[in-house]
Amino acid sequence: MSDIDVASSAGAEGTEHIDEAAVAALTAPVPETIGDGGPELVQLLTPEGERVDHPDYSAYVADLDADDLRGFYRDLVLVRRVDAEATALQRQGELGIWASLLGQEAAQVGSGRALRPQDYAFPTYREHGVAWCRGVNPLNLLGLFRGVNHGGWDPDEKNFHLYTIVIGAQTLHATGYAMGIQRDGAVGTGDADRDAAVVAYFGDGATSQGDVNEAFVYAAVNNAPVVFFCQNNQWAISEPNDRQTRIPLYQRARGFGFPGVRVDGNDVLAVYAVTKAAMDAARSGQGPMLIEAFTYRMGAHTTSDDPTKYRVSAEVEVWKHRDPIARLKAYLTAHAMADTEFFDAVDREADELAATVREGCLSMPDPEPLSMFDHIYVEEHPVVEAERAEFAAYHASFEGGH
Amino acid sequence: MSSIKRFNLPDPGEGLTEAEIVTWKVKAGDTVKVNDIIVEIETAKSLVELPVPFAGTVSELLVSEGETVEVGTPIIAVETGQGGAAPVQDAPAAGAVEPGLEGSPAPKLAAAAAAAEEQIEEGKIGGTTSTGRTAVLVGYGVKQTEAKRRPRKTGTTPAPAAAPAMTAQAAPAPVAPATAAPARSLGEARALTKPPVRKLAKDLGIDLTQVTPSGEGGIITRADVEAHVAGGTAAAEAAPAAGAPAYQAPVFARSGERETRVPIKGVRKMTAQAMSASAFTAPHVTEFITVDVTRTMKLVDRLREDREFRDVKVTPLLIVAKALLLAARRNPEINATWDEAAGEIVVKNYVNLGIAAATPRGLMVPNIKDADQMSLRQLADAMGALVATAREGRTPPADMAGGSITITNVGVFGVDNGTPILNQGEAAILCFGAVRQMPWVVKGKVKPRWVTQLALSFDHRLVDGDLGSRFLADVAAVLEDPSKGLVWG
Amino acid sequence: MSTLTIAKGINNGLRRSMERDDKVILMGEDIGKLGGVFRVTDGLQKDFGEDRVIDTPLAESGIIGTAVGLALRGYRPVCEMQFDGFVYPAFDQIVSQVAKMRARSLGAVKLPIVIRIPVGGGIGAVEHHSESNEAYFAHTAGLRVVACANPEDAYWMIQQAIETDDPVVFYEPKRRYWDKGEVDESAEAGPLGLYDARVAREGEHVTLATYGPMVRVALEAAQAAAEEGKSIEVVDLRSLSPLDMDTLAASVEKTGRLVVTHEASTFLGMGAEVAAEITQRCFYHLEAPVLRVGGYNLPYPPSKLEEEFLPDLDRVLDGVDRALAY
Repeated sequence: MSDIDVASSAGAEGTEHIDEAAVAALTAPVPETIGDGGPELVQLLTPEGERVDHPDYSAYVADLDADDLRGFYRDLVLVRRVDAEATALQRQGELGIWASLLGQEAAQVGSGRALRPQDYAFPTYREHGVAWCRGVNPLNLLGLFRGVNHGGWDPDEKNFHLYTIVIGAQTLHATGYAMGIQRDGAVGTGDADRDAAVVAYFGDGATSQGDVNEAFVYAAVNNAPVVFFCQNNQWAISEPNDRQTRIPLYQRARGFGFPGVRVDGNDVLAVYAVTKAAMDAARSGQGPMLIEAFTYRMGAHTTSDDPTKYRVSAEVEVWKHRDPIARLKAYLTAHAMADTEFFDAVDREADELAATVREGCLSMPDPEPLSMFDHIYVEEHPVVEAERAEFAAYHASFEGGH
Repeated sequence: MSSIKRFNLPDPGEGLTEAEIVTWKVKAGDTVKVNDIIVEIETAKSLVELPVPFAGTVSELLVSEGETVEVGTPIIAVETGQGGAAPVQDAPAAGAVEPGLEGSPAPKLAAAAAAAEEQIEEGKIGGTTSTGRTAVLVGYGVKQTEAKRRPRKTGTTPAPAAAPAMTAQAAPAPVAPATAAPARSLGEARALTKPPVRKLAKDLGIDLTQVTPSGEGGIITRADVEAHVAGGTAAAEAAPAAGAPAYQAPVFARSGERETRVPIKGVRKMTAQAMSASAFTAPHVTEFITVDVTRTMKLVDRLREDREFRDVKVTPLLIVAKALLLAARRNPEINATWDEAAGEIVVKNYVNLGIAAATPRGLMVPNIKDADQMSLRQLADAMGALVATAREGRTPPADMAGGSITITNVGVFGVDNGTPILNQGEAAILCFGAVRQMPWVVKGKVKPRWVTQLALSFDHRLVDGDLGSRFLADVAAVLEDPSKGLVWG
Repeated sequence: MSTLTIAKGINNGLRRSMERDDKVILMGEDIGKLGGVFRVTDGLQKDFGEDRVIDTPLAESGIIGTAVGLALRGYRPVCEMQFDGFVYPAFDQIVSQVAKMRARSLGAVKLPIVIRIPVGGGIGAVEHHSESNEAYFAHTAGLRVVACANPEDAYWMIQQAIETDDPVVFYEPKRRYWDKGEVDESAEAGPLGLYDARVAREGEHVTLATYGPMVRVALEAAQAAAEEGKSIEVVDLRSLSPLDMDTLAASVEKTGRLVVTHEASTFLGMGAEVAAEITQRCFYHLEAPVLRVGGYNLPYPPSKLEEEFLPDLDRVLDGVDRALAY
């Protein structure tokens, strides 16, 4: 938690008393140690796999047992394996494109597992790990990248919205959804199964977009139950953080009037804890929070990007040592919570899952051309109908059928 | 049973169409699993590791390190040890047109598109293999296309507006009949008109380029098209009811000369001189009168029965001649001539009645001297003799001179009327046309009667409208009621 | 003479403009070190520096809005929208500010801004990367809108666009970025004016007018049609606002028939304006109504269906056949 609680100072109660020191502290950028996330980084599991405590967040993982931790491990491995398979499929021409989450598994699994069924998630286009936690079939995601559909799963089925490719647009949607939850009276009732909150995912680059900043404003002034989850993977295609912000991203929340916290995005326990805390707060009516998961985009922006043009491989090497799966594996091993048999079983399961995904991808049927004209409107539209008929007649006019 | 699968170079992204094989990570005989990294390739932009999409034993590396190949080129052959059940022998190259993609014509991606570059900067397209695309950052990449149409079922293409006449640019190959080009050759001016008129022309089968435009700016109006039709040109009449409105003039093969030249001489020359002189000196006015000549026709019938006229030809012309003579007696000033030289109008006290005759030698106007003194029988004889002589071409010159008034009979040709040119030196000429059964109002009722139209051209220098009209009316009065002859004596 | 791709043509054109005038600066996402996602700005930051080739924060509205400010200060910004579908956050700045400021200031202010947009589909992409939104901008008074279709035009038109004092929306046909062509870079000037249309292929029976990525489709269609004895005249409009009606009308007066084609939806696309204007101008010359062949009135479909959606050679020739049937 940031050391200045903005909610209790000038912003919320009016501006009768202006604390000069507070303002100075608000506006001075916190010096940043390159690459390690800084002193305020919330961490519960070091890259070496050792548990550390955090005064605010240890409590949120206190109840996790060995099963839960093994479960995290399994999630991380399967998510990575599917991601690798999809990357390979793209290289082989079975997908037009794939946005790899390599390196960000813990940020997504940790936050995904902190959600309750009635919570709603608004992803970007890289949250395959969150989709996994929500129970969305990986093949549903592949349809978009294969060019078969633009998403096409029912968002309300798993409370996981469609992928949004326009950067940051979904943060406004998330905020509006949260405002709806408020009006449904599902905030702060104390009923653990009823109270709901929204999590909005976006990247570091997105924080520059007008929509994201507007979402912060709307969420703040409405005290909406939305957690803004920023995966700062350090790169927006070729542009680093210093092209997007002058201040660590989690500190920007102060300016909008809600708390921001930076968490080690490669530490699944910390991410889980911080997200759980934020979602609990939102569900109970304390309004929005910004979580910055400090992580790294180990792969390229998409499969056709070439990171060697704009970043040094040494940087990548550093982050290899912060691998989310390795540290958890080390921990599980060291505390005898898992053995080779378990790890091998998970690997086997991962391979099987990958094979299923591969097969599903290769056998995915192409959409029927006439389906192009479906679902444009709720009510029938004369232009669409006329063109549908024209299209059908035109294609029937070719030899050999359509 | 084993099968060899080939892995083609997939598109490496970023708009590149070829790559260099930098380092092979495997060699022949190595075992590979799905997604094992087998090779490092380099494009102009990046170094990329490629995973193999199938498992088996490497049978052959098809491209050497350092070689640059195009997207879609097979780079490695792997013996997969699977049955031939694999539907596709070759691994799908990146961006391959999926077989299941409904309706997409499997385009034979060739440099065929490059062929279209003669006139414009088309540019060569990279990647001329069977499945290669040009790749992009965010998708499968650009598919190659070629300048080829998918064949359509017959009858689906709309029928063309015009006949399939080839222009100079058209290929000599047979044209798909349903979709021929409009028949209009290079450089021909366009017909300018608006859509409804185009439709009218098309419906009537008229070639608009043959229609004379009357609108401003050379625009063809509806009336122009209708006039073109009414003009009864060969194109309008010959145009088929259905089909091509554009008229193609038939080309006839002729033998012999295209023209025949006849020297101007003899009667033709005289006639021309006389006509010209008359037409261009005397101001001609023509008046018309339509008259019910039933009684005259009945008289003609009676006369033909009459013993008095037994051996002479009696025709309506005879009665007309007599009527003219009676009218001339009542209107003597019409039987005159304008003597320009003497500055006098010469009224003749005799009538030398000319009868225009078509003879073998041409048009001749012999006249009957002193016709006003003759009885009807005498007149009939004179006319008969005149006509016979003229037909034989033996009319003496004396008979041709001295005429004072003339009748021209066009009725024998079935022609209704005309505007005759005065016989030179005369002041009036009567044109007598066909006599037909026509509906006529008699005592308030419509009845079929014998009707004809007379025309009188006169020299307006000495014959005014009232003189000419009275004269013509008198002629008509006698024809309408021959008993007038008795009244007028 | 050099053989260049369209991407390289624009790259060279940008370089020349920047060499000529210090005030020309480039702004966009990933245009610096990366050289642009299509490599159109490759090498320019290295040679001209970070002050003149700016990697902007990820905000399209910010790019255009700050470009307005820079232009007011005397600079000549060339802004890149990374993909057509991402120009919409900037729509307000373009339409409310860039287009209107000169008029608002009664001519005191000029905004010599060029907005480069890779346009069109046919690249097998996910959503928002295949839009054709030229009609929105052509419909906005105060903007000029042009679309190059080959390397020579790309090379010269970008320079001309930068040189003009009016704001120009500059469309680049992304699926043609790698098409190659001859460019005489040593020439004093380009062969045509920025707002001229060009007869790309002469013909007799039908005029086929188009622009940008569809020009190549039109030329291929004309080639296929020639084998059927149909002679198609292809007109590359090049400029959408203003439209070079003189060139187009002269062509239609020659052939008597016009088909307009574009990737954008037929309904209220550029073809609608061309059809209305030509019908009025060439009324008495027309043998057939002006026909349009465009995308269907749908959001751009998933890439597996885009070939059904985009007007291809067959669909263009179907339109030609219908025109000839009148």
